Amino acid sequence: MRNSNEIIDDIANREYEFGFTTDIEMEMAPVGLNEETIRFISAKKEEPQWMLEWRLKGFQAFKKMQFPKWQHFEMPELDLQKLSYYAAPKKKKQLNSLDEVDPELLATFEKLGIPINEQKALAGVAVDVVFDSVSVATTFKEKLHELGIIFCSFGEAVRTHPDLVKKYLGTVVPHSDNIFAALNAAVFSDGSFVYIPKGVRCPMELSTYFRINAENTGQFERTLIIADDDSYVSYLEGCTAPKRDENQLHAAVVELVAMERAEIKYSTVQNWYPGDKDGNGGIYNFVTKRGICKGNSSKISWTQVETGSAITWKYPSVILQGDDAEGEFYSVAVTRNKQIADTGTKIYHLGRNTRSRIISKGISAGHSDNTYRGLVQVGPRAANARNFTQCDSLLIGDRCGAHTFPYIESRNSTATVEHEATTSKIGEDQIFYLNQRGIETEKAVALIVNGYAQEVLNQLPMEFAVEARKLLSITLEGSVG
Amino acid sequence: MLTIKNLHAEVDGKQILKGINLEIKKGEMHAIMGPNGSGKSSLSSVLAGRENYTVTQGEVIFEGKNLLDMSPEDRAREGLFLAFQYPVEIPGVSNLHFLKTALNEIRAYHSLPAMESKEFLKLTKEKQQLVDFNANLMNRSLNEGFSGGEKKRNEVFQLAMLDPKLAILDETDSGLDIDALRIVAAGVNKLRSADKAFMVITHYQRLLEYIVPDFVHVLYNGQIVKTGTKELALELEEKGYDWLKEEVHQKESV
Amino acid sequence: MTSDKSFYEFISNGVPGPEQKVDADNAILPARKLAFGRFKELGLPTVKTEEWRYTNIQRYLKDAFTLAQEEQGTVTAEQLKAAGIPQLDSYRAVLVNGRLQADLSTLPTGGKITVSKVSDAAGNPQLQAWFDKHPHLQSQPFAALNAALFADGLFIEAGVNASLDKPLHIIHVYTASANAFIQPRHLIVLHKSATLEVIESAVGINDNAIAFVNGVTEVVLEENAELWHYNIQSTVKNSRHIYHTSTTQKADSRYHHFNFTLPSAELTRNNLSVALTGSNTETNLHGLYLATGTQHVDNHTFVDHLVPNCNSNELYKGVLLDDANGVFTGKIHVHQDAQKTNAFQQNNNLLMSEKANINSQPQLEIYADDVKCSHGFTVGRFSEESLFYLRSRGIGEEAAKSLLVNAFAFDITDQVHIPALQDFLAEKIRQYVAGAINN
Repeated sequence: MRNSNEIIDDIANREYEFGFTTDIEMEMAPVGLNEETIRFISAKKEEPQWMLEWRLKGFQAFKKMQFPKWQHFEMPELDLQKLSYYAAPKKKKQLNSLDEVDPELLATFEKLGIPINEQKALAGVAVDVVFDSVSVATTFKEKLHELGIIFCSFGEAVRTHPDLVKKYLGTVVPHSDNIFAALNAAVFSDGSFVYIPKGVRCPMELSTYFRINAENTGQFERTLIIADDDSYVSYLEGCTAPKRDENQLHAAVVELVAMERAEIKYSTVQNWYPGDKDGNGGIYNFVTKRGICKGNSSKISWTQVETGSAITWKYPSVILQGDDAEGEFYSVAVTRNKQIADTGTKIYHLGRNTRSRIISKGISAGHSDNTYRGLVQVGPRAANARNFTQCDSLLIGDRCGAHTFPYIESRNSTATVEHEATTSKIGEDQIFYLNQRGIETEKAVALIVNGYAQEVLNQLPMEFAVEARKLLSITLEGSVG
Repeated sequence: MLTIKNLHAEVDGKQILKGINLEIKKGEMHAIMGPNGSGKSSLSSVLAGRENYTVTQGEVIFEGKNLLDMSPEDRAREGLFLAFQYPVEIPGVSNLHFLKTALNEIRAYHSLPAMESKEFLKLTKEKQQLVDFNANLMNRSLNEGFSGGEKKRNEVFQLAMLDPKLAILDETDSGLDIDALRIVAAGVNKLRSADKAFMVITHYQRLLEYIVPDFVHVLYNGQIVKTGTKELALELEEKGYDWLKEEVHQKESV
Repeated sequence: MTSDKSFYEFISNGVPGPEQKVDADNAILPARKLAFGRFKELGLPTVKTEEWRYTNIQRYLKDAFTLAQEEQGTVTAEQLKAAGIPQLDSYRAVLVNGRLQADLSTLPTGGKITVSKVSDAAGNPQLQAWFDKHPHLQSQPFAALNAALFADGLFIEAGVNASLDKPLHIIHVYTASANAFIQPRHLIVLHKSATLEVIESAVGINDNAIAFVNGVTEVVLEENAELWHYNIQSTVKNSRHIYHTSTTQKADSRYHHFNFTLPSAELTRNNLSVALTGSNTETNLHGLYLATGTQHVDNHTFVDHLVPNCNSNELYKGVLLDDANGVFTGKIHVHQDAQKTNAFQQNNNLLMSEKANINSQPQLEIYADDVKCSHGFTVGRFSEESLFYLRSRGIGEEAAKSLLVNAFAFDITDQVHIPALQDFLAEKIRQYVAGAINN
C-alpha cells in the first residue's frame, strides 16, 4: 500500500489544469505606474472626465499608502512599477454579438469549459467574460433587458448608465480604503456592472468569468452590484490564469449594495494559478470585497471556494446598516504545496436586530499555511444583534499550518456573539472504514473533505456546487491524514 | 474460501495473534468466541488490513489469492466485508452517496459499469426491506448522530448492499438490546446463502441463539484453543472461560 | 512633545540608569543592562502595535511619575488587615512597594522552601540561570523595563520534593505619597516534584496619588513539580497595573493559574504566558474579571506548545458593568513537533450595561496535525428569563443577580482549592453585584 508521503508527493506534483496560454494579439499599456498611465487607461476607455478624476483621486491616495504589516505571511516583494496596467485583446471594437468575438478567444473559453455561446450556455446562467480585465462577452443580455436588469461590463455602464455608476461607485469601498483598493481605483480596467430594479427577482444566475492571460500584467477589475428594493440576484464569479513563472497581481474590488428587503447572493469559485510545488509563480489574489445592507431587512451572502492563487488575501465583508439586515459568509479555503491563504470576513453590525452567520472551513496540506481571520463588530446601536461563527480547520500532513484569528468587538450589551473553532486532522479510522468498503484512499479523502465542506458547498447554485466539488476532489485527491 | 495458516501478528511490538489456523468454506457460519483481550477483534483487523497491525508469520489465502498482499480496499473488492465493532461517523457524507461510491468502486474493480441511479435506488429499497433498515437514515450523514443500534443495523444494511463473499461481524451484538439484536440477526440470516460465508465474532452466546453457527472456535491468548459446534457455545455460556484457560495452562505445563 | 516621549525620557534620563545598585555585588547588573537596551529598542507600544490595539497605554502614561525607590510611608496593622483574606491560614510575605518587610511577614523556616529578597539572592545560581530568561518576555517592552529598573521582589525556591503545610500569601502594599511607578519582580523556582500554593494580593493605601505598578513574575517548574498560583487584583481606583507572568514547564509538571481581577484599578493589563518545554504537562489557566466604572481590564494569554503530549485548558470569564472595557486575547501556539497536543480555550462574557464593551481575540496557531485544539467565545447579557424566574420565587433583584453572577463564575471559583479563598471571592462577587445595583 502506498504510504501517506507518496500520496502527498502526488498531490504536490499534480498539474494545474488551466495553465495554458492563449496566443492572441494584445494591446498593452507601457510598463509602469504614474499619472500618465492612468490618463492612458482612461483615454483608451473613452471615459468621461468625472471618471478620470475619480481615478486620479485613487492614485493620490495610493501614493500616500504603505503595505500593511499585520497579515500572517511574509509580504512578497511587489514592484508595482514593473507591471503593465492595461491589456486588452486587440480586435476589440464595440462587440455587437458573440459572432464578433475573436475565435481564438472563444476557443479558450471552450477549453475552460465556460460556454459563452448562448446556445451552449448553461441553462439559466448569464455570463460576462472578462479576459485580462476587459469584458469580452455578455450573454443573455436581451432577456435580462426585458426585465429592466442591467448586466454589462463596467466600461459600458460608465457610458450608458453614468448616473447609477456615479451614485454608487466607491460608496462601499472608497478609493482610499486600503492600498490595493486605491490602486484598483486608479487603474481598474473593466469588470461587471449589475443593477436589479425594484421588485425584480433575477430569473437566472449572473456570472462573470475572469481570466488572466497576458504576461507582466495585473488584473484590476471592478464589480458593482446594486439590488434595489425588494429585488433578488445571485451572482457567481470564476477565475483561472495561465502558468507563468513570475507572480501576477490580482487586485480587484467588488461593491455590493442591497436596498430595502433586497437580497444579493455572491459566490466565488477561485482557481487562479497557485504556482508550482516549490512556490514559484502563481497569482497574488489581493481583493477587496464588501457589501452594504443599506435597507432594512436586506441580506447579503458571500460564498467562496478558494483553491487557487499563490497567496489569497481577502475578507469579503458585510456592513449591516439597515435594521433586521442579515449577513452571511460561507468559505472553503484549500491550500497545498506552498500556498498561503489569509482570508475570512468582516461583519459590521450597525442596525438593530441584525444577524450574521459565518461558516469557515480551512483545509491545509503540503507546506501551506491557511489562516482564518475575521472581525465581528457590534456597534452601540445594534440592539439584539446576533452572530454565530464556526471555524474549522483540517490538517493533512504535518508540514502545514492552520490558524484562526478572530476579532470580536461588542459594544452593545443586548448582542449575542458566539464563536467556535476547532482544529483536527482526517481520522485514520475514517479512511480505513471507507477502504474496507472498497473505496481507495484517494477517493476516501475526497469524500471526507467534501463532507467536511458540505455546509458551504450547499450554499452554491447547483451547477457550480458540482464544479466546486470536482475542484475540491482534484485539488486534494489522495491526501492522507 | 478462506484459509488461515499459522498467523502471527503484533501491534505496537506486542504479540497479539500467536499462530491462528482456520479454514472457512462456502456457505459456512463460523463463530469466534473468547474472553476479553484474547485477540478476537485483532483477527478481524488483520484480515481487513488495518495498518497498525503487523503480520510477523503465516499466511492467509482468500479465494486462491494472498490476502495479506492486498490493500484494505482491494480486500473489500475481492469480497471481504467487515462489520465494524465501532462504525465511524463521517460528517457531511450522506449514507446514500457513500454506498453508491463503494458499490461502484467494487463494480469497477470487476470491470463492471457503474450502476445507474435508478437501478441503485431500486436495489437500496429492496435491501432496506430485507434487513428492515429505516429509510430515513439513508440521507443522513454516515453514522452521524445514529444510535448504537442504528449504527449496527447500518453495517448489516451495507453488508446486504455490497454482497460480499465473506462477511466478518465484529461484536455486532455488543451494546444491542434484545429487539435490535433480533432485527440484526434476522437480517444476517436472510443474507446467508450457499456461496457466502460468515465469521461472527462475539463475546456472548446470546447472539448464537439467533444466528446458528456451524462451527464455534474459542480464541484464547492469540490462538484457537478449542473448536466445536454450537453446543460448545452453550457450554461456555454456562461455565465461563475459566475451565478452558485452566485446560490450556495444564497442556502447556505438561 | 508627546506624552509618550515624556514618559520615555523620564524613564531613560530623568532617573538613575541601570547602573543603580539593587544588590550589593552587582550580580544582576549585566542582565539589567541588557534588558534596558532591549526596552530602548522595543520602545513603548501604541494602539498600532497589534498586541496593544485595544489598550491605549499612552493615556495612562501621561501623568508625571517618580520611581518608587525609597520606602515611603508606614503600614499600619489595620491597613494590613484590609489587605488580608479572612480565615486564611497561611504563611505571609508583606512587600511595601516591592520590598519585603521581614517584621510584617511570617515566612516558612527551616524547610526546603526559602523566601528571600531578589536583592539578597542575586548571586544564587538559580536566579542567575533564570532571571529575565523566559522567551516570551523578550518581546515585551514593559517586562524589559521592569528587568532594567525593578525595585526588588521575592525569590522563592522550593527544593526537590519540597512542600508546605499551608499556602504562602504575598501581600503587596503600595504606599506612594506622590504618583509613583513601582516595579516589583519575583522569581519562583520549584525543583523536581516540589509543590506549592502561592496567593498574591495587593492593597493601595493612598487615594490621592497614582500608583502605576509594572510587575513581573517568572515561574520555573522542574520535572513533576506542581504550582497553584492565585493572583487577586483589587486595589484602589487610581492605580494602574501591567503584570507579566511567565512560566516555564518541564516534563510532567502541573501549573494551575488563577487570575481574579476585581474592582477597581482603572487599568489592568495581564500578560500570562506559559512555555511547555517538557512533555506530559498539564496547564490550567483560569481568569475571572469583574469590572465597573471606567475600568479597563485586558487579559493576554499565550500557551506555547513546543513538545508533544501536553494538555492545556483555559477558561476566562468576564462580567462588565457601567462603562467598563474588557479585552481578552488568548493565543494557543502548537509547534510542528508538538503532536498529540490537547489545547482548549474558552472566553465567556456577560455585559450588564449598555455602555460596557468587550473585545476578544481567541487565536489558534497550529503547525502539527495530530492535535485536538479548540477555542470558543461568547458574549451575551443576563438571561432575563432566569432573572424573572428567580424573582417570581421571591428572591430580590440584588440577590437574584448575585446568584446568577455567582453561577456564571462558578466554573472558575469551583476550581479554587482553598475554602477561605472561595468564601472571600463569593463575598467580593456579592459586593460587586450590590454596588452595581445601587449605582
